Amino acid sequence: MMTRHVSPVNPAVYPHLSLVLLAIGIFFMAWFFVYPSHIDACILHNTYYEVTSTKFTRDLFKELLISLVAAFFLGFGVLFLALWVGIYV
Amino acid sequence: MIIMEADGTALKWAESSVNKDQRSYQRYDITLNGPLSAGSSRHMVVHTVLTKYLRPYPSHVSQTQKQLVVYEDSHVVPTVHPCRQQQTSVVLPSPSSVESYSRNLKPAAHSDDTITYGPYENIAPYSYDKMLVHYENNRPFLAVTRMERDVEVSHWGVISVEEKINMEHVGASLNGPFSRYDYQQQRGEGASVRSWRTVLPASAADVYYRDDIGNISTSHLRTHVDSVEVELRPRFPLFGGWKTFYTLGYTVPTYEYLYTSGENYILRMRFVDHVFDDSIIDDAYVRIILPEGSRLQEFMLLKLFYDEQRPLLKVRFSTSNASQNVFWSCRDILVKLPYGATRLPDQVHYTYLDTMGRPVVALHKSNLVEQHIAEMEVHYKFDSILLLQEPLLVVAALYLLFLAVVVYVRLDFTISPDPQREGKLRAAGLSAQCRDTQDRRTELYTRWEAAIAKLRATKDAGAFQTSLRNLGAEHRTLTQNMTDLAAKLKAESAAPEILDKVQEIQKLDKQLKEQLQLQGSQLEKLVASKLSKQQYLEQDTVVAKRKEELAARLSSLTFQL
Repeated sequence: MMTRHVSPVNPAVYPHLSLVLLAIGIFFMAWFFVYPSHIDACILHNTYYEVTSTKFTRDLFKELLISLVAAFFLGFGVLFLALWVGIYV
Repeated sequence: MIIMEADGTALKWAESSVNKDQRSYQRYDITLNGPLSAGSSRHMVVHTVLTKYLRPYPSHVSQTQKQLVVYEDSHVVPTVHPCRQQQTSVVLPSPSSVESYSRNLKPAAHSDDTITYGPYENIAPYSYDKMLVHYENNRPFLAVTRMERDVEVSHWGVISVEEKINMEHVGASLNGPFSRYDYQQQRGEGASVRSWRTVLPASAADVYYRDDIGNISTSHLRTHVDSVEVELRPRFPLFGGWKTFYTLGYTVPTYEYLYTSGENYILRMRFVDHVFDDSIIDDAYVRIILPEGSRLQEFMLLKLFYDEQRPLLKVRFSTSNASQNVFWSCRDILVKLPYGATRLPDQVHYTYLDTMGRPVVALHKSNLVEQHIAEMEVHYKFDSILLLQEPLLVVAALYLLFLAVVVYVRLDFTISPDPQREGKLRAAGLSAQCRDTQDRRTELYTRWEAAIAKLRATKDAGAFQTSLRNLGAEHRTLTQNMTDLAAKLKAESAAPEILDKVQEIQKLDKQLKEQLQLQGSQLEKLVASKLSKQQYLEQDTVVAKRKEELAARLSSLTFQL
């Protein structure tokens, strides 16, 4: 028996979904970019903060994990953003 | 194009060409639904729509002139069988002025908007008698010379429809120049066309009307209960021989047109839709763009199409495809049309987030009229897991970017190494680890305090001993870590001040731990009644004060790391 096809996600929630997913994604992306970045200069000038790290303290696994989470949230966020603005992929 | 009905039911028929008396005819052989017995009668309706049949006469008119057209036909219908009685009525579009009409075959009468010929009696087969009606007709003589209709299906909930339309005014050509001033002064528009109305489905949304330049702002959208009506006004009025091009697009939700069962999908949409009232489309190119990964069935497509000559019939064509599936298991499409059309070679369409491209079914049909607005069906197979392909594509792209960053920050572009700077960085890293360890120790002490508080409340010395053992073991590990870090710092001569601080922390931490142990043992004594409450309270106050001092110094030292 054929049923009517509806979207797996209700199109009415595309705006909310994209905003929430992008917000979470940007948070993780920001964390990722601050985490392994070159802040040697900052350390030398005694402006060293906890969230940052140097090549002697960084953790590859942690970086990959954070960036994976960021990529997932951003990826789905971008998709729903496209659907929201009318690019029906 | 013909529709035949007897009491509303469609009849089958076959078409052939016949030459008789130096005239060529299209002959239609109709099959009745049942035998016609002697003496009985059957009522039948033959409906023909003819396109480009009216001839503008004069063929060129000026801007202000009215448009006159000639309708040429026969007074009597040339039937194959002898005809006992016939009557022909010519209904004009409006009770407009008739210039002339042929009266050579009486009776012929003109009243209001109808010219009636007949009734004529006993007409022989293949009779022909030339009829001419010359009258004013200012109806819009518009024709769509080429229409490209793209239907793009997205399983995310929307079907986008876009029609690229080449429109031409096929009435009497404009003679002489066009004056905008005269046009504004003129009350009626004559034969020119200023605007027309297109009726879209009721669920149509995001309607756009544009051409190569951009958006055409002179359009109006009206939403009715059962339809959406767009009034389109091109950038200039259309006179005879003038052309325009525009794109009209809209979206409709999938639940109105797309049906599913497992991985099988059926798209039920109109082959062409309304463009304007009494429209004619010379060439319609319909492209159905299916989601990426849809599987088509080549074989069925070829079988299903009638030849181009088969006219429109109100008969749905259906066929079973079960046996053919075996040979064409990887490709799975089926198109059902209410009338014949040519199938063009399959195409591939690329749009956002596509990798292999979307399969496109392309169809073509010439000479379409409003009666061709009927539903077609496209059957295809689609694995819904493929919906995830698009977001995962974005995820993969972003992750690659992040991986590039991970690699980049690990690359060393230093030309000459700076040992002092390296040493400082390493020391900073070690100091961060020291601080981390100290934080964990502080957290351990909080749990220790909690254990003491619990003993005070429950007086359960056994449980306290157990938790004390665990806490002690954990503390030993952390202290060992700290000692290791201190040793590394010592090897690193770059930051002696950090080493001093760490050693200080170690010393203070040891004292703090002792105080905690003392506090625990005092409480145990109190529980075991080896100590009076008074004594316990005095000692506990001293210990608590000492603890507080140590903790404050420790936290300030840690902060300085």
